Amino acid sequence: MNNPHHLNPTSLKSRFTTRFLRALTKIRAQKPISSSSPTEIFRRYRRIKVAADKSMAYSVRSRRIWSRAMLWKLRSRSYRRQDPCSGRRSGKTSQAIMKKSSNENTTTRREDGVGFVEEADELRQLVPGGETMNLCNLLDETAHYIKCLTTQVQVMKKIADFYSF
Amino acid sequence: MQPCSREMQAMDSLLSPTQPIPLQDLQPNGNSGTHQAQIHNPQFDPTSSHDDFLDQMLSTLPSCSWSDLKSPWDPPKSDETPPSNPDNNAGFHYDEILASKLRQHQINGGGGGTTAAMKMMMQQQMLLPGRPIAAAGGGGLTMPLHNDIVDGSSFKSPNQQGGEGSVQALYNGFGAGPLHGTNNQSPNQPQHFHHPQGGNMQTQSFGATAGTVMNQSQASGSTTGGTPAQPKQRVRARRGQATDPHSIAERLRRERIAERMKALQELVPNANKTDKASMLDEIIDYVKFLQLQVKVLSMSRLGGAAAVAPLVADMPPEGGDCVQTTAGGGGSLQRNSNGNQPSANNDSLTVTEHQVAKLMEEDMGSAMQYLQGKGLCLMPISLATAISTATCHSRNPMMNKGSSSNHPLLQSNGDGPSSPSMSVLTVQSATMGNGGLDGSAKDAASVSKP
Repeated sequence: MNNPHHLNPTSLKSRFTTRFLRALTKIRAQKPISSSSPTEIFRRYRRIKVAADKSMAYSVRSRRIWSRAMLWKLRSRSYRRQDPCSGRRSGKTSQAIMKKSSNENTTTRREDGVGFVEEADELRQLVPGGETMNLCNLLDETAHYIKCLTTQVQVMKKIADFYSF
Repeated sequence: MQPCSREMQAMDSLLSPTQPIPLQDLQPNGNSGTHQAQIHNPQFDPTSSHDDFLDQMLSTLPSCSWSDLKSPWDPPKSDETPPSNPDNNAGFHYDEILASKLRQHQINGGGGGTTAAMKMMMQQQMLLPGRPIAAAGGGGLTMPLHNDIVDGSSFKSPNQQGGEGSVQALYNGFGAGPLHGTNNQSPNQPQHFHHPQGGNMQTQSFGATAGTVMNQSQASGSTTGGTPAQPKQRVRARRGQATDPHSIAERLRRERIAERMKALQELVPNANKTDKASMLDEIIDYVKFLQLQVKVLSMSRLGGAAAVAPLVADMPPEGGDCVQTTAGGGGSLQRNSNGNQPSANNDSLTVTEHQVAKLMEEDMGSAMQYLQGKGLCLMPISLATAISTATCHSRNPMMNKGSSSNHPLLQSNGDGPSSPSMSVLTVQSATMGNGGLDGSAKDAASVSKP
């Protein structure tokens, strides 16, 4: 079959796709659809979404601030879930990561001088790890984040279409 | 001759260490020494001979050089004794000397690359407010010295007005000198400059403001000529912008931000870029929308995950953007809607409505997915009324989205609903796509039965 897609095996899209599909099969292998309670459904949804985000973040590696922040968030959450006492450990890692990102980005949350403080704050909440960026880096990260999100949505849509009919 | 007054000394010290370069820039190289000497040795004409001197200056022919220019000065210079009245008088003379020299230089056509600077300075002179520039030559000639003096004062202390009394006097005198010269208000000149302090105070403010104006115009016009009074390593400012490092950094930052905004504009649809704030709002909305899509898609895949085939490398061609239903696991979504989200109160309904309306503009498929994520679907009003009248309690909230009765979702089910409950079922199964998944079909059946 002629496949015009995924011509570039190293592109973001293909990386994300392979990772995500792997995660999906893993999820499916873990728990067959037995439960129909809403909480179970919600948990599944949560797991899938997390898998999607995680695979996306892993595809980007640590090259971007938002991917690092997202990975840290996921890891800390999984630590917390596994072992409540590991909060300290995750705290340390979080500090290390935050310090690293802050050193790179001059974390001063100063007045921009351009006058977009409100929108910038809102954007900071949306983009993971955005609190520690000045406006310039924030816009940069937002651009890359949008690109990755669109890739994610495209791939997930295709998967849904593929398996839904 | 040595400067005798304190002010002259101050002026001397001010001008000589800081201003040798620019003046040399303006002059032909050979005459710099003489010019310097002449700066250091200001001429002290008797006040009465101002007019004569000016006439002399104006009458001299263009073929004179700097040294020639010196000659008219020499006789009065030799006559002079150390002056009795200090600052203003001396300042004025000094101004006159330099003005004349510069004018001569201008007439000579300048030296090499300084003509451009001269012209620019003429322009700047034109820009100065409240200065009737009768003679463009005079204006042009006065500019460099203005720059020197003004920049000198600003170089020392931009806000210091009291300390630079001598410089201000110099500047004022200089400013007023050619002015008066060009206006031929000769009888007023001695009076003007013989009011030592009062006039000085008056003109000082003028000088200060004009100094700042000059400085700005100097900076603004320094595209080609550079900033002669400042050290040459200084970054050349663009038109209309200051040259201090903070503003430069600010400007760089703003440029970078503008670049990134432009890059974002290409990514985000509906990028009109009317202004930056609305652009940022667009971006924020788009990021929210994308995150929401990921959520919806991950929810919709719950049913799909049930039937996930073994890993396939290649994907079928994308059909998600067309208007067909993108239903994967609509059945499970309904259950989800019951358990996950609170039952539809009015607030969430209106919010959802707005959201779906917005989604429908862009992509029908995503709008449908969004609805399914909430356990809702689109249906014609007639059907909805039929259902609502027939079944009082329906577990799945149905929403009317206007009279979109020709929605392909519902068209796929050709036969009309036989009973309200059955209609619900058919709608549900239609949302799941024709023939659906077994599991989800069962679920749908179980749920929608009243």
